[in-house]
Amino acid sequence: MMISSSDAVGVDLRGVRKWYGAVPAVRDVSLAIRPGEIVSFLGPSGCGKTTTLRMIAGLEHPDAGEIRIGGGLVNDVAPWKRNIGMVFQNYALFPHMSVAENVAFGLAMRREGRAEIDAKVAAAMAQVRLTPLADRRPSQLSGGQRQRVALARAIVTRPSVLLLDEPLAALDRKLREQMQVEIRQLQREVGITTVFVTHDQEEALTLSDRVVVMEAGRVVQTGTPAEVYERPRSRFVSDFIGFTNAVAGRIEAVEGGTATVTMRSGQTIRVPAEAGLAAAQAVDLVVRPEKVELNPPAEARPGRALVSGTLRHSVYTGAVTYHHVDIGAGETLIAMASNGDGHGEAPVLGSPVTLGFRPENMLVFASAV
Amino acid sequence: MAAHDLPAPPLRTVPRGERLLAAYVALVILFLALPVLIVVPLAFSSDVSLTFPPRGVSLRWFANIWARPEFLSAFALSAAVALVATGISMVAGVLAAIAFVRHTFPGRDALLMLFMTPLVFPAIVLAAALALVMTPLGLLRSFWGLALAHVVLTLPYILRTAVATLSEIDRSYQEAAHTLGADRWQAFRHVTLPMLRPGLLAGATFALIISFDEFTVSMFLVGPGVMTLPLEMYNYSEFTLDPTLAAISTVLLALTCLAILIIERLVGLGKQFGG
Ligand SMILES: Nc1ncnc2c1ncn2[C@@H]1O[C@H](COP(=O)(O)OP(=O)(O)OP(=O)(O)O)[C@@H](O)[C@H]1O
Ligand SMILES: [Mg+2]
Repeated sequence: MMISSSDAVGVDLRGVRKWYGAVPAVRDVSLAIRPGEIVSFLGPSGCGKTTTLRMIAGLEHPDAGEIRIGGGLVNDVAPWKRNIGMVFQNYALFPHMSVAENVAFGLAMRREGRAEIDAKVAAAMAQVRLTPLADRRPSQLSGGQRQRVALARAIVTRPSVLLLDEPLAALDRKLREQMQVEIRQLQREVGITTVFVTHDQEEALTLSDRVVVMEAGRVVQTGTPAEVYERPRSRFVSDFIGFTNAVAGRIEAVEGGTATVTMRSGQTIRVPAEAGLAAAQAVDLVVRPEKVELNPPAEARPGRALVSGTLRHSVYTGAVTYHHVDIGAGETLIAMASNGDGHGEAPVLGSPVTLGFRPENMLVFASAV
Repeated sequence: MAAHDLPAPPLRTVPRGERLLAAYVALVILFLALPVLIVVPLAFSSDVSLTFPPRGVSLRWFANIWARPEFLSAFALSAAVALVATGISMVAGVLAAIAFVRHTFPGRDALLMLFMTPLVFPAIVLAAALALVMTPLGLLRSFWGLALAHVVLTLPYILRTAVATLSEIDRSYQEAAHTLGADRWQAFRHVTLPMLRPGLLAGATFALIISFDEFTVSMFLVGPGVMTLPLEMYNYSEFTLDPTLAAISTVLLALTCLAILIIERLVGLGKQFGG
């Protein structure tokens, strides 16, 4: 028997706010989570991810706005009537119950029959490969095993929505990656609408259908992992998601959708102009290292923006090498080079080099100043 | 202690400071335990007067307890008062602890302090006050008057351990129960209460002992037919000073040891399985 739910429901947040006394935890969150979707809340510590998740669970009451689960307004519905499953950061496994009793708890609260409970618990435990540990106490389990018990306990009741608050934060890197794959598979099998909180951008990109990036109590961007990674809408998002190069510049002119930007070093590049940019504006130019090529071959140069500089140092990290290039006026751009076949030797340190990238990969954001 | 049982390693001499400390500790333990331990041989004495060491061995003083129904009824009353007062204190204490730990409300800290005052209040003041309040209520010299007075005395102990235990229990357990479909009562009944159990058991033990052995407050509230064991013993000693009191004390000592052993076992095992 496999636990699965075909009747997945959507979750809608509209203008949701929450204050703790004078502290605004969530300022204004509007978001539509589609049925069966896995969405992650990503953002720095204190940006309101947990608070938003707890409001969906019903553990906090929003000060303003509407929360709908499956279309029905749940603002004033108690958590035990919402049919949700939640995995807490500390797992919150009941220490006085065995693994099997923990998993059975939600079913017992729903007053299901003994035989039915036993069958469902056995199925859920098999699904997360816990069967041999049924009689152990939570204190006798490893971190990864506890995590799986918490997951089994949360899904065995066939909740409409599964909420996970940094469920992998306590695990070491290898186990974390393994559990990411398992959660993804389980979520696909079961098809539950899932909200996942993390402050690890890699985890968010790996696990989600869509990523919701939050900053200071607000949603700053929502999109697929690729959208959020490739086309961050603000400097904050680009910094938060992945490793970026940033240099300062000033817009000389904007014409026909193309902006001419002078970098502090005096070099000029032409990039697609975002709406709202105007001449004489100070901007940040942001590009990901893997989009920058060191000494591109002549046939690859047409259509590329080119910047010249001096190679300062190269950092070998195994699969790739990062080349740090001084482009003048004390500014540095980093180019990533794959160490796969067909890549020649890196130039000598201190030698002049050229960096090339597609203009559309250079993101232009108004300087914060 | 263990250091004394082991043969000293040949080359190591125990520093003088350590020896002094060991001697001091032994003296303190002796000072604390001696009066209690002297009671036991006295209870088995065959002498009519309280002389130490006793000159012969007999069980006549234990027989004397049985021969005097007032001791047995006083014991029964004291036990009943202790159980009822502890029971009421447990319910009130747990509910109050939930309010104090899980909720914020105006005057919370002041109220918690007020609940704890019987711990530091001079017992005689409390005794007089309770007697004054209970007279118009018709509770003076009644079982329920006594039991309620003992609730006032035992509640702080229960409340204190319940607040301490509950503060240690992360809120997320209760919240996890809620997300799994448990309403407030079910979450309390199946999750919070079992986790509170060791602390409550410790608090209840204290409360039972405090109530059973209470003297000052009870003295103002007892009367004919409503007499606690400590007061019955005191009354007896005013007229007769023989080893009967030592025999009763010995019985109480044995019962206390047994109770503590049982609770230690319960809580200890609970910790092993639950920890
Ligand atoms: N119970 C509370 N009382 C007061 N302030 C709170 C409470 N819970 C959260 N806050 C505040 O609300 C803000 C948002 O907190 P929240 O826990 O939602 O952040 P988060 O994004 O989950 O952060 P983290 O990644 O550190 O878990 C923070 O400023 C936090 O200090
Ligand atoms: Mg959080």
